[in-house]
Amino acid sequence: MRLRSGDVGALGRVRDHFDWTLFITVAALAVIGVINLYSATSVARGVHAEDYIQQIYWLVGGGLLATVVAAIDYRHYERLGYALYAGGVVLLLLVFILGREIRGSSRWIYIGSYSFQPSEFMKLFLVVALAKYLHDDPRLDGRTLKDLVAPTLIAAVPTALVLLQPDLGTALILILVFVSICALTRIQTRSLVWLGVATGVVAPVFWSYGLRGYQNERINAWLNPNENILGYNWDPHQARIAVGNGGWFGQGFMKGSQNQFLFLHEQHSDFPFPVFAEEWGFVGSLALVMLYGFLVLWCLRVASSAKDRFGAVLAVGVGSIVFWHAVFNLGMATGLLPVVGVTLPLFSYGGSSVMTVLIGIGFVMNVSMRRFYASPTRTTLLGL
Amino acid sequence: MTNLLVPRSDVGEFRKRYKWMALFAVLALLAVATHLFRLQVLAGTEYSAIAHENIIRRVVMPTTRGVIRDVNGKVLASSRPSYDVEVVPGRVMPSARPVRYRGGQIVARDPDSWPKLAEVLRLNPEERRTFEARIRAACSSDEDKSPCWKTPILVREDVPRDVIAELKQHTDELAGVEVVSAPVRFYPYKNLGAHMLGYVAEIDAETLAKFRPRGYDDLPREDQQRENPLGYEAGDTVGATGIEHAWESYLRGQRGWEKRVVDARGRYRSGPEAERLVDPPGNLDPIPGRDLRLSVDIELEQAIEKAMRPHAAGAVVAVDVRTGGLLALYSKPDFELNDLSGGAGRARVRETFNRLYADALRPMVDKTMSGAFQPGSTMKPFSALAALQDHVIEPDQSEKCEGYVTFGRRIFRCSHVHGRVRLREAIARSCNVYFFHLAEMTGMDRIARVAQAFGLGQKTGLGPNPEAPGRIPTRSWYALRYRGQFRIGFTLNMAIGEGDVTVTPLQLAMAYGALANGGTLYQPQIVEAVQTSDGAVEQEFPPRVRRQIPVDPDDLRRVTDALLDVVKDPNGTAYPARDPQLDVAGKTGTAQTGYVPKKDEDPKTAWFLSQNHAWFCAIAPAHAPEIVVAVLVEHGGSGPEVAVPVAMQIVREYERLKAVRLGHAPPPKAPPTSGKAAAHAKEHVQ
Repeated sequence: MRLRSGDVGALGRVRDHFDWTLFITVAALAVIGVINLYSATSVARGVHAEDYIQQIYWLVGGGLLATVVAAIDYRHYERLGYALYAGGVVLLLLVFILGREIRGSSRWIYIGSYSFQPSEFMKLFLVVALAKYLHDDPRLDGRTLKDLVAPTLIAAVPTALVLLQPDLGTALILILVFVSICALTRIQTRSLVWLGVATGVVAPVFWSYGLRGYQNERINAWLNPNENILGYNWDPHQARIAVGNGGWFGQGFMKGSQNQFLFLHEQHSDFPFPVFAEEWGFVGSLALVMLYGFLVLWCLRVASSAKDRFGAVLAVGVGSIVFWHAVFNLGMATGLLPVVGVTLPLFSYGGSSVMTVLIGIGFVMNVSMRRFYASPTRTTLLGL
Repeated sequence: MTNLLVPRSDVGEFRKRYKWMALFAVLALLAVATHLFRLQVLAGTEYSAIAHENIIRRVVMPTTRGVIRDVNGKVLASSRPSYDVEVVPGRVMPSARPVRYRGGQIVARDPDSWPKLAEVLRLNPEERRTFEARIRAACSSDEDKSPCWKTPILVREDVPRDVIAELKQHTDELAGVEVVSAPVRFYPYKNLGAHMLGYVAEIDAETLAKFRPRGYDDLPREDQQRENPLGYEAGDTVGATGIEHAWESYLRGQRGWEKRVVDARGRYRSGPEAERLVDPPGNLDPIPGRDLRLSVDIELEQAIEKAMRPHAAGAVVAVDVRTGGLLALYSKPDFELNDLSGGAGRARVRETFNRLYADALRPMVDKTMSGAFQPGSTMKPFSALAALQDHVIEPDQSEKCEGYVTFGRRIFRCSHVHGRVRLREAIARSCNVYFFHLAEMTGMDRIARVAQAFGLGQKTGLGPNPEAPGRIPTRSWYALRYRGQFRIGFTLNMAIGEGDVTVTPLQLAMAYGALANGGTLYQPQIVEAVQTSDGAVEQEFPPRVRRQIPVDPDDLRRVTDALLDVVKDPNGTAYPARDPQLDVAGKTGTAQTGYVPKKDEDPKTAWFLSQNHAWFCAIAPAHAPEIVVAVLVEHGGSGPEVAVPVAMQIVREYERLKAVRLGHAPPPKAPPTSGKAAAHAKEHVQ
């Protein structure tokens, strides 16, 4: 009504165009995530004991960043697409120079007492770059292999750098995000066949030679879930027991014995889900899965209503980041997939991870808010 | 800002894809949800059980072995706490474990606590090296069930309390060190009554396999209970011999358990939050072992030990003829029970065993029941009864003893030239010639029948140690044994307790008991009552009559009168060693052992083994019999000279103890006054 009357101010338009569904879904996930983190780290002494407070700071900071990101018309990002991407790659390179090695890989850059993981943010920069590329390269007929060379290179550079850290989990997400975005485009059948064959050849080679010792061990552990329970299978084994121990309705908040009696490790980072599943049972777990599913579907909905290709790819890209993170983390926590260090969006503790997800949601919000047709002449900085 | 003004790009290329993407996402998350359903709902109970198992540990609550007391309540065997220090190899020395990687990085291992332990226990460098080598060997692999985690290594036994206190103080620095409280059997009287009481030992693999057959651990609890009602586990202590062994099921008691909540690091958790997780039943209280009250009087046993001091080997049985209750069972040489039961460490146990088994005097054999010996002349009363019973002889008719008699080509000798003797004198003076004539007329099988009626040559059924049956030969036994013709010599030898006749001191004591009490053969009993640990009598064992021996009282009186003469008559064999203040009857015996020295045998040993066995069976008081004391001095020589003084001393002590207990005399304060006190006691009694 007000839209039509045309006399509402900018704030009024923000209120009307604001995607409350998206906001509430993400806010719900964040709140449940913090509550779960509180329970997960209640048994920890020392450094991790107050992680949940730190996580709240990250959420607030990330929320503010997301607001800024959402406020500026996304077509500005489109303009800066490659620059952002280049910045991300430079940061990845800086990791090798400035990064300190923690547990066998260098993933962090330190600024004062804070550290951040450029590879997390790279996921967003990759999405932005691919969106930019596809935006500038509209096709109506199918794409050939030659057409895919440039986007593949865009994805390959950061993936290779991340693999060198090494960080298999993030590399995997980068590849899957790239594949998901490619799935959005129309590709010639012949090219698809070729791609399938190429994947079929490269994957086994990578499997045999590309993986590090511990990565192979983890996959072996996954294939033989009942062996080496005191070694590589400890975490997935105890996580599976915790999940199963949840039953229909769970043991109750702060009452999961697997967590309370220290059988779960990394419950603040890679395994927050078993804590949640044990406390809230199948009912709670299903609700959580549905919440993630809803968020992903909502991203797709936003993409489908986007008014241009950049916005659509941006929304799909962010949706795929959330989707793959959730699927891989849940899969590894329940023994469906081998252990790869992939965080659960908004559940896992970590500044870079939280910020990345929230900024991504900021992008989606941005696209969502600007789905209403706006005439070129009335376009302002905010594009509303 | 210019590009913001260009028309928006066409999104037509993507339009058809969203549906498929949404479908893919939904299917993927549906797969996750299905898997969650499988884990949480279908297998939920199973995983809950595993999670429960993760945190609940059944902690075994030990039971205490029953106490054995003598008739006056003196403790003969009890348990005292002992603290052993054990280490879990993988935890006490993490550096011995193979290096592990997680996330491409060496998994950090805790620092070793071993050096600290070595310091607290003050291990010498030699010991340190040995144990370090064992720990490293155990941790060559650190898989789940490897010895690195499963098999604790015993470092020190019976650690003094102050060292334990020190260990407790440094608990934080001593990861993987466990103090195991293992009760050790304690025998305050050390050697005394060693064979009768028996020792305890760790259960051996064979016995354990009987109670825990293959697959035992997988059986349901009721079946386990049936297979192994006493709940034996590896490393348990069980009675190995004597009463400890025979009464094991009473003494042992039953372990209890308690469910405790532990976290992943093996630390116990308490508080309401932890207790909530314990499923009922939360515990089973241990049942302490039953206490035993013996009929044995350990003070009498002490007196026997004292009386037997001059002699190298032998056995003494003292029995109450009115009940069959055993007052003392003594076998020499004996052993230190505490050494064999582990009270002085495992090394001492091995060492003691090696020593005992090498000893020619057979200290491990309980000679009161496991050893069978020729009874010698102590057999004569039974031969006499056989003759009297069938009226083969006229007791008042005399035989002439010229010191020997010839049957066929063989000469059978007597100890003296007794001249003309009647039955009474023949027994009192132990004339063999009279008994040769008697045997010739009575025959082997008649004598055997009477001897067997008195329980000779038969197991008595007293449990503690394996019983030797002994042997009362009969004609048919010889027919089976010898190809050749039956010789009259067999019968003659048998009548005087030589040749193939063997009995155990216990059998002989019971048989004399029957002579003394008028023909009632009692079942020997050593345990008077079973009590609970708080002293309530649970089961009592009244006297049990084995049989009423069909014997003419007149015949019996004739024989017992003769037994009185053995001591009272100046010509009696026991007269020289008698104690005039004691009212004792009995029969001496000097049994030839028929020992043939082996080649290469130490001459001293050969000389010793060729000596006769000295016997004396005493009945006291002779006129109102209460006890029989059967004394055997193995290879001691002459019965009258060697065995009689021992028996006299024992009877004297018995009378003194009786007087003291009845309140007639104060207990002796110091050894020198004991003789006087005994004499004093005597006056009152008579």
